[in-house]
Amino acid sequence: MSLAPVTEEVVTPEGDVAPDTPWVTIVWNDPVNLMSYVTFVLQQHFGYERKKAEKLMMQVHTEGRAVVANGPREAMEADTEALHGYGLWATFQKDA
Amino acid sequence: MARAFRRRGRGEHVRYVATLDADERQVVGGLMNQVRDLLEPPEAVGTGDDGFDEIVAGLTLGGDAPDRTEPEEERDPALDRLLPSASRDDEAAAAEFRRLTEGGLRHRKAVALAASVAVLEVEDHVDLDPGQAHQFLTALTDVRLVLGERLGLRDDTDLDTLEALVDGLDADQPLVQLVALYDFTTWLQETLASALLER
Repeated sequence: MSLAPVTEEVVTPEGDVAPDTPWVTIVWNDPVNLMSYVTFVLQQHFGYERKKAEKLMMQVHTEGRAVVANGPREAMEADTEALHGYGLWATFQKDA
Repeated sequence: MARAFRRRGRGEHVRYVATLDADERQVVGGLMNQVRDLLEPPEAVGTGDDGFDEIVAGLTLGGDAPDRTEPEEERDPALDRLLPSASRDDEAAAAEFRRLTEGGLRHRKAVALAASVAVLEVEDHVDLDPGQAHQFLTALTDVRLVLGERLGLRDDTDLDTLEALVDGLDADQPLVQLVALYDFTTWLQETLASALLER
């Protein structure tokens, strides 16, 4: 789970979305799920580092949504199903 | 009197430990059972539950066990929080996703809820291994999603509004009790999520 800090620093949410993988998984803000819980789920399911998970969680909280993963459609459907298992409000869509 | 979840030990032997008295265990377990019934309706209706049901009136669909093949308009809105639509712009894709995933999701959630009820039935000392802790955490999420739906929580300010409202009501009002249940399960989940994040 632990990545070298140097690698982590150059990764941005925008940079995570590769142009050849046009599907995304989105988590939407909801009034029930706790900030700590959303952070835990993002770490647990995606294996994200704490800092990245918290950044995405804050984006969900302040902007109402965040792209939490990108890749082939089947992978985004699997992520969405897993996140529904955790009770998060997740959707998948083709990246516009 | 409840004591928050905390982490004990580390590595393979880590445990997540809380203390809940008999009433608290019965309340939380009862809520988990009701959500499980919502997800996987028991074949035989008639749970024989006590007055606790009245406290959370509306948490389940009264005597009508929800049929999993119910038409959309009869579907309990709480199910849409437990099993939300997977697409906002493609109804066909959302329907297909639901067809493929809903049965499995309902079952996995029901299993986690049942496992969590089982650990609550033992003793005041709630002592969970990591796998049990994860199940307990998601079970609390599903309980809070249903309570949040019953309370009409739609955005981040609704709970504050509601808490201001119930301040002026008698303690025996159902709404006051529902808000208290929501607050208690929120507190419990927050302490468990925080303990799980320590690593």
